[in-house]
Amino acid sequence: MSRFTSETPPSLTDEQIALVEAPIQTKIFLEGPAGAGKTTTGVERLLHLMASGVPGDSILLILPQRTLAHPYYQALRYPGVVAGGVVTILTVGGLAQRMVELFWPLVAEQAGFADPNQPPIFLTLETAQYFMARLVRPLLEQGFFETVTIDRNRLYSQILDNLSKSAVVGFPYTQIGKRLKAAWVGDISQARVYEDAQFCATRFREYCLKHNLLDFSLQIEVFMKFLWSNSQVHQYLLATFRHLIVDNLEEDTPVAHDLLADWLPYFDSALLIFDQDAGYRSFLGADPGSAYSLRNLCERRIKFQESFVTLPEMRAFGTLLERALDPNQNTKSSLSKDAPKKGDGKDPTEIARIRTVLTYEYHRYHPEMLDWISQMIAGLVDEEKVPAGEIVVLAPYLSDALRFSLTNRLESQGIPTRSHRPSRALREEPAALCMLTLAALAHPYWGIVPTRFDVAFAFIQAMEDMDLVRAQLLSEIVYRTAENIPTLTSFERINPLMQDRITFVLGERYERLRTWIELYQQGPEQEIDYFLSRLFGEVLSQPGYGFHRDFDAGEVAANLVESARKFRWVSTSDLLEGGKTLGQEYVEMVQDGVVAAQYIQTWQVQTENAVLLAPAYTFLMSNRPVDYQFWLDISGRGWSERLYQPLTHPYVLNRHWPEGALWTGDHEFKAGHQALTRLTLGLVRRCRRGIFLGLSELSEQGYEHHGELLKAIYRVWLKLPGERSPV
Amino acid sequence: MNFIPRPKQEEVLDYQGGTMAVSAVPGSGKTHTLSLLAARIIKNGWLTDDQEVLIVTLVNSAVDNFAHRVGLFIEKRGLLPNLGYRVRTLHGLAHDIVRERPDLAGLSETFQIVDERAADQIRRDVSLAWLQGHPTALDVYLNPDLEGDKLEWVRRDRLPDLVSNIALSFIRFAKDLQITAPQLLQQLETLPVPLPLAQMGCDIYGDYQRALVYRGAVDFDDLIRLALQVLETDQDYLIRLRNRWPYILEDEAQDSSRLQEQILRKLVGPGGNWVRVGDPNQAIFETFTTASPEYLRSFLEEADFMRQLPNSGRSTESIIELANYLIDWTQYSHPQEAARRALTSPHILLTPPGDPQPNPTDNPAAVQFISRKLTPAEEIQFVADSLEGWLPDHQEQTVAVLVPRNQRGFELVNELKHRGLDYVDSLLRSSTSTRTAAGALANLLNYLSDPQSPTKLATVYRVWRRQDQADQGVLNRYNTVTKLLRKCRQVEDFIRPRPDRDWLESLDIRSGQTEVYNELLEFQQVVQRWQGTAILPIDQLILTLAQDLFTEPPDLAIAHKLALILRQASNTHLDWRLPELTQELAVVARNERRFLGFSQDDTGFDPDQYKGKVVISTMHKAKGLEWDRVYLTSINNYDFPSGMRSDIYISERWFVRDDLNLEAEALAQLKAAFSENEYSWYQEGQASQSARLDYVSERLRLLYVAITRAKEALVLSWNSGRRGDRQPAVPFLALQTFWEEKRGLRTDDLTE
Repeated sequence: MSRFTSETPPSLTDEQIALVEAPIQTKIFLEGPAGAGKTTTGVERLLHLMASGVPGDSILLILPQRTLAHPYYQALRYPGVVAGGVVTILTVGGLAQRMVELFWPLVAEQAGFADPNQPPIFLTLETAQYFMARLVRPLLEQGFFETVTIDRNRLYSQILDNLSKSAVVGFPYTQIGKRLKAAWVGDISQARVYEDAQFCATRFREYCLKHNLLDFSLQIEVFMKFLWSNSQVHQYLLATFRHLIVDNLEEDTPVAHDLLADWLPYFDSALLIFDQDAGYRSFLGADPGSAYSLRNLCERRIKFQESFVTLPEMRAFGTLLERALDPNQNTKSSLSKDAPKKGDGKDPTEIARIRTVLTYEYHRYHPEMLDWISQMIAGLVDEEKVPAGEIVVLAPYLSDALRFSLTNRLESQGIPTRSHRPSRALREEPAALCMLTLAALAHPYWGIVPTRFDVAFAFIQAMEDMDLVRAQLLSEIVYRTAENIPTLTSFERINPLMQDRITFVLGERYERLRTWIELYQQGPEQEIDYFLSRLFGEVLSQPGYGFHRDFDAGEVAANLVESARKFRWVSTSDLLEGGKTLGQEYVEMVQDGVVAAQYIQTWQVQTENAVLLAPAYTFLMSNRPVDYQFWLDISGRGWSERLYQPLTHPYVLNRHWPEGALWTGDHEFKAGHQALTRLTLGLVRRCRRGIFLGLSELSEQGYEHHGELLKAIYRVWLKLPGERSPV
Repeated sequence: MNFIPRPKQEEVLDYQGGTMAVSAVPGSGKTHTLSLLAARIIKNGWLTDDQEVLIVTLVNSAVDNFAHRVGLFIEKRGLLPNLGYRVRTLHGLAHDIVRERPDLAGLSETFQIVDERAADQIRRDVSLAWLQGHPTALDVYLNPDLEGDKLEWVRRDRLPDLVSNIALSFIRFAKDLQITAPQLLQQLETLPVPLPLAQMGCDIYGDYQRALVYRGAVDFDDLIRLALQVLETDQDYLIRLRNRWPYILEDEAQDSSRLQEQILRKLVGPGGNWVRVGDPNQAIFETFTTASPEYLRSFLEEADFMRQLPNSGRSTESIIELANYLIDWTQYSHPQEAARRALTSPHILLTPPGDPQPNPTDNPAAVQFISRKLTPAEEIQFVADSLEGWLPDHQEQTVAVLVPRNQRGFELVNELKHRGLDYVDSLLRSSTSTRTAAGALANLLNYLSDPQSPTKLATVYRVWRRQDQADQGVLNRYNTVTKLLRKCRQVEDFIRPRPDRDWLESLDIRSGQTEVYNELLEFQQVVQRWQGTAILPIDQLILTLAQDLFTEPPDLAIAHKLALILRQASNTHLDWRLPELTQELAVVARNERRFLGFSQDDTGFDPDQYKGKVVISTMHKAKGLEWDRVYLTSINNYDFPSGMRSDIYISERWFVRDDLNLEAEALAQLKAAFSENEYSWYQEGQASQSARLDYVSERLRLLYVAITRAKEALVLSWNSGRRGDRQPAVPFLALQTFWEEKRGLRTDDLTE
């Protein structure tokens, strides 16, 4: 981590200084375990380059994921640093998109786009999913994917994922189905779904080409196939960027590595940083193998060994855990090599001290474990004055219920939490639902007929002081759905007794809302984002209405408007069938969970000093050590088993997978083991002071599991002095 | 654990590996012995630290029983108390196997399991739809005397049930045979002659499976079928499972089905270690399944070792004699020659002198046959009278009344309730704590979907206060509050009152009935909070409500699980709102119950916890349990037929011609469709006849099981049935005669 300020330059070791100050014209491959100070060195090298007169705009910094740029941005933000122009910080995907945008006329036709004279439309994950949904939905009704049980949005995203894999691994997208099918060992009738998946991928690609749409896969493909080989583009890139820094090289994809291998000889200088034993993004195509082969293209190869992060006993735990996880005991990671040194799991006093960095308690029920975790965290924060930001709670997957339960427990103890995860779907936000319901009521000809519950809930949200009972009463009386046309009738026309029960204050608020809708209906339909912002501005945010004092609801409304606007930008109404308006399409898509399902930008202001609740991989990819980690549910199998994706396969759609080989239980098991080893070592190396192990006999789902992590920890336990042997 | 094995049990415990068959009589301590064997395997260090002893048993209630006992036998193992062994029912095991590799079974990892009740509903719907499409298809099987309105009535009113029942057996049997609906359809198309019942079964089977796929679900039978499929598909996975479970101990092996046998055989592998314990005389789950004691019998022949547990210390000598006589009578004197194999030797032996688990002191007078004719109502009265007399002096003893079917049990429960006798009916019911927790939540959701209803408001009040109703004063207050709430006509005036109209204040009880007032005030705040949650996503709604409703960890755990499941349901059914979700909650609560450690009945039923109370159970559910005193009721020729001319069979309907048992006939047609032997071609009526025989045999074994539940006292009675024409069962008469003659011989024992 960079601690860059002018007064206190980071105290670098001699080997770090040697690297940072190496002659400018050098290509260096730096490897080492997490916590060895590699990124710090990378940041310092960047600053050193700039301080030595290298113009910032000739430096290209490549990262596999934007979040990893944080320390670099932080350093560059320091006044005076960027004097020589702005350093370009990009992912390979970002670079591809930028180049496609820049050189579109050069390649559009060649790449097969139907309308090269029109500009390209770049799809986000969300909008790509929307188009996929539009194409696939009718096919589902024809019986596509009949034999898999999977919810629709996951189905769409897996087809998109297949396309992305073909692009980043570098095989033709037309081979997706064939590859998956060839590796399938199960029932042959089941293999049909791969053909379906291929069919949909092909349909999607054709659709994109026809309408100038570029999803992630097409951006990469167009860049790699047509732009990189185009001499003009090539020249442009070689001339623009003279210096290269790549961090977390191991998390990038084979195609990214191909590109770098091609490009590397042309740079004046390069620093490639490689994290040993990582590759956490392998399910997204990360390939540490192809990353490591770039080593041979660098004249200087440097290895950092020592961890600055962990205590020796923590490292000793990591070593023992790694051995316990390896059934053949032939571990090769950096920690256990080159004996003897600190944390190598051989020093008995270190082993004896492992107990001091591990805390656990056994529970029968999952919620009991959550209680225990909350208590422990409260103890750390309140009594030991550990900053909340130095605590993370990790699980292989975090269900919404789990997140909610933990957040509640911690917040009731006054401990702030944050969650590294795309924020909640809009469809989950009562405020957004309220606005969408009102939108449907304002456009009765859409044919979207909200249920009485939706209307009552919209009333609760929309009007201040509206309670559940009165909202239900009101909706029962004023809401009509004759002939599938939703209408609201006037408060004045209802029976005075009822008016009295609902109260005239609320009746008047309702009436104003209704009149506003009625007036709106007299004009032509407005764009959905515009309609929503008017609804918010002219009614909901006014005194007496629900969003008036509710800042969060206002935030949600702003996000909804933003999402609708983006949707309008990519989707033009001529793409819609049957005279649907964009507004109707948008509302339907949000209700279906296709749009704004997962990928909207977060609106919750995340305080940094809060306990982080995150999936373990997400935490690893933030590449930030903390003082304390809580591992949830260590007996669960999720730690070692991947989430099954019936339509895609991270290992089979991989460059190293031998063509035609079958993916068997043995592969599954080994892959799971490897992933678990990588994951847990990665966690241990990012933990400074202690790990708490959450254990419950019955999982969140009520099942009893004896997962691989539990067994491995148990084996470690048996090696600790003072722990009784089982037999 | 204070269990000292007797020599015969030690012989079992000397097991060193290989296949071993153990034939055990009722009360021979096989569960103890098997648990101790598991513990010894663990303690002997025969396992590496990622291996487990796998114990497979028949019913859920036995799972925790086993787990508990193994746990007691082994020392605490440091980090986790339950590493080193795994106890599962076949369903649980199949679930473990499939859940680990759902992809191989064509399932996503979020697949759902529908339980019998949900499956039953689907099957009913599908059957009904089939009948509507084929209104006269079954006419060929109806009694030709039926005409006009009566025929119409039968078609409309009787057939749906019958068809649904046939479908149940048919689908289950087809799954057991691993025949899919499309395969069956293909086969039926190739046949020269029509098989109408098989055709019907096939249609319904196909629709039923489609309905399951639509829900993203499998039923219990699928689970087992798919587990085998997974094991057959992936050799690597199978090998890893073999390595994980190097020792497999199987209890109740007499009830092993074809698939259970195959799954375990696969898991054991060649040269593996497999101990099967069972008693062919206790096979009582065979009707219309492929379960058969034959699997155990043939294993007895092939196994490397054969052991017996012939001694039973459970019952008195008299009761053992009676059970043994039932075996003898069946073998040599049963009026149906073919039923004589229903019960076989060995006899139950008394424990040898000095045995660590000796038999209770004998008291022949404690065995009573009530031979006089009683109507069903009189029989209930008789049992209740007898209990009323017995209970006060025997508060430290256990007693059970065993009935042939649930309905009869509930009739007795009503009578006991009426008389104010303490009773336990949990064995008649499906579940306790899951149902209570889910029920409490369902009530709340139900209220939130209809918040204006004072009745529902009153109900949630009871739910909220359901825990502490012991104190009479408190109870009175609750009743007052409930009554007041029911009369609150405008709920909003209570929950969110306006200054000018406040229901609570209008009651004018603030000073007069302060406690009631305060109670209502507190409840008002709680309901306000609940109402506020109604707009939350369903999982958050449930978790929030659960915090108000539950304090016990299992309840909270159930709530969490329900939150997850309902969330998933609402993701798949985007149009669902509170009413639909509330309904789903009820379904879900029952669904996965049998795999979860959440429910009280899954932790096993321990009769010793209910001393001085009357336990009411079906004879089936009583298997594996024992009581000091046992009443066996309804031992008549309807519930225990013997193949006599006057016997009437539950599966033969009056409106079906020629006493055909259409369930049996449908299965016979299914088998015939796949039979290549023309001599075994389907012949109408044959299956009905052999179904009678199977039923007669199984009921004999059920009677044997029921008798051997008693430790010291046994009372047997019969009733004349609804129409008053039922006779005592033939075995009842045989046992009674035997007993009276015997007691006549030993007049000195007559102390009554």
